[in-house]
Amino acid sequence: MKTTGRIVVGCLLGALAMPARSSEDFIDRLDESLSVSALGGAFRGRLSGSLDLEGYFFSQPPPGLMVASGPELFAPRLSMFLDVQLGEKIYAFVQARVDRGFDPTDGGMEGRFDEYALRLTPWQDGRFNFQVGKFATVVGSWVHRHGSWDNPFVTAPLPYENLTGMWDVAAVRNGSTLLRWAHVQPKHFPGDAFADSRFRLPIIWGPSYATGAAISGEVGKFTYAGEIKNGALASRPEYWGSDEVRWDHPTYSARVGFRPDERWTMGFSASAGSYLLPSAAPTIAPGTSLDDYREVVLAQDVGFAWHHWQLWAEAFETRFEIPTVGDVRTTAYYVEAKYKFTPQFSGAVRWNEQVFGTVSDSVGGRLPWGYDRWRIDVAPSFRFTPHVQVKLQYSVQPDDLGAHDYQHTLAVQFTVRF
Amino acid sequence: MKKIRLLIVFIGAVLAPGLGRAESVVEGRVPLPKARTAPVMNKRYEIVSKGGVVAMNPPLAVVYLEGDFPAAAVQPVTQMSQKDLAFVPLLLPIRVGTKVEFPNLDDTYHDVFSYSAPKRFDLGRYLPGEKPVPSQVFEVPGLVTLRCDIHEHMRGLILVLATPHFVITDTEGHFRLGGLPVGRYVLKAWVDSKTTLERTVELKENSVLQADFP
Repeated sequence: MKTTGRIVVGCLLGALAMPARSSEDFIDRLDESLSVSALGGAFRGRLSGSLDLEGYFFSQPPPGLMVASGPELFAPRLSMFLDVQLGEKIYAFVQARVDRGFDPTDGGMEGRFDEYALRLTPWQDGRFNFQVGKFATVVGSWVHRHGSWDNPFVTAPLPYENLTGMWDVAAVRNGSTLLRWAHVQPKHFPGDAFADSRFRLPIIWGPSYATGAAISGEVGKFTYAGEIKNGALASRPEYWGSDEVRWDHPTYSARVGFRPDERWTMGFSASAGSYLLPSAAPTIAPGTSLDDYREVVLAQDVGFAWHHWQLWAEAFETRFEIPTVGDVRTTAYYVEAKYKFTPQFSGAVRWNEQVFGTVSDSVGGRLPWGYDRWRIDVAPSFRFTPHVQVKLQYSVQPDDLGAHDYQHTLAVQFTVRF
Repeated sequence: MKKIRLLIVFIGAVLAPGLGRAESVVEGRVPLPKARTAPVMNKRYEIVSKGGVVAMNPPLAVVYLEGDFPAAAVQPVTQMSQKDLAFVPLLLPIRVGTKVEFPNLDDTYHDVFSYSAPKRFDLGRYLPGEKPVPSQVFEVPGLVTLRCDIHEHMRGLILVLATPHFVITDTEGHFRLGGLPVGRYVLKAWVDSKTTLERTVELKENSVLQADFP
């Protein structure tokens, strides 16, 4: 608590002591110096970035996709973005990060290229775009605000980070196995109570930067997008690159959106693809293939924004297909609201819930294949300047391992963007 | 009798700002900085990509006469639009007390805000053509940097001045500021947030003063 807390308090004091006008000017000038233009403005490039200093305080196990052995975690992250525009038709972008893992961990620092993509826009009315590379999924609506500056919260909504009992490194043989994986207890992994979290999958892993190609466009009040990627929505970040997993078992996803006016956005998404890694092939049932172990997701999203209000909601109906067990289902949703109280001070609240279907146990009954869970997130945020902000988040959810106990998480995120 | 007094007060209010002026003119040239690189729009998570080229104005300066001038009889009203994902104009000099309207002329949302000390505000998300047009009154002199919370690349400037005598240069830096009162004043040229040039001028009746900035 002491180390992480001191770092965060130091950052806050630094932000308060910083003269707003001069820091704004400095970053604006830095922005200009990191932009280049050539060919009479036909080629333009911009390097930008953000520095996030995050502190988490929680009881074990760490919530969501975090991995840490203690009750606190300090997770710094430097993100660098390159945006390039060539004429009116070609756009490319790259996102590189240096941090303690794609999801916060207590491991060492590492660097990655999380996103890189090339987009072709043949017509300027936006009717058709083609994009290839490693980039965020077209499913749902959270991707548009998953960056630390735009996300009203420090963490992702529950559907994007709540681990189910499904693994990607091995196929489920029977219902009992799935129930054991889904209801992990410390006794299963003596000395490392939550070691199984490294095998388990959420229904959609963050923004899902898998590799592939996408088309998208706008026709009147409707938008469309479709993609073919090398990994399922549930796939883990280590396998999003083209070197790790090829397209032998691709995932197809699509979204159709409707925007009656600027206030409302509505969308319906679908995705289907194998959730098992190629290395799991030896564990699948005889006579089946990896393509028989599909994750099928149907999602709906709705958003409303007007003046100082922003509201979002998404619901995911997910089916994991297991030839030896049958289909297992889970439903997850969240409702999120943000309000700007003053130009610099905002507050957000989010209700999240995920419920699990049942699976046959070994004695002829049926049990849920996961812990039903709800979570409430509350997050005030303050922007010191157009480039510096701090967010706090308090979350509470039931504890899986103890009846009537609750797990509390406090997170703080200090961001400088440039 | 009361009506006559009111008429006299009204005529006086209309003519007062012009009293003491003798149509002095000052003209000259301000050295302008190099043109900035046009911004690149962040379109990473936009399903629909449109408008690959962002409009950009060349650098301009604002030349103004500093002095103690009477307040405006009527509140001035002007506009700074959002068009093609840019502020139009990019630089807007106004007199203290001016009401600025921010009409959205694009077909998408904008959320104009400023954290500048002379005026902190956030208009929130507002529709194209929304009525009433979102507006703010600027009561404190200084530089106000405008941004859009949705479109990161958008940036505009409002220079709030305690004088009614100001003009924007052309793209070569030339200016002509007319209708000035006679007397000794400080002529200033705002070039950017770090650079304001100034020189003293002696304005004489019915004359044109050449006043270049170094």
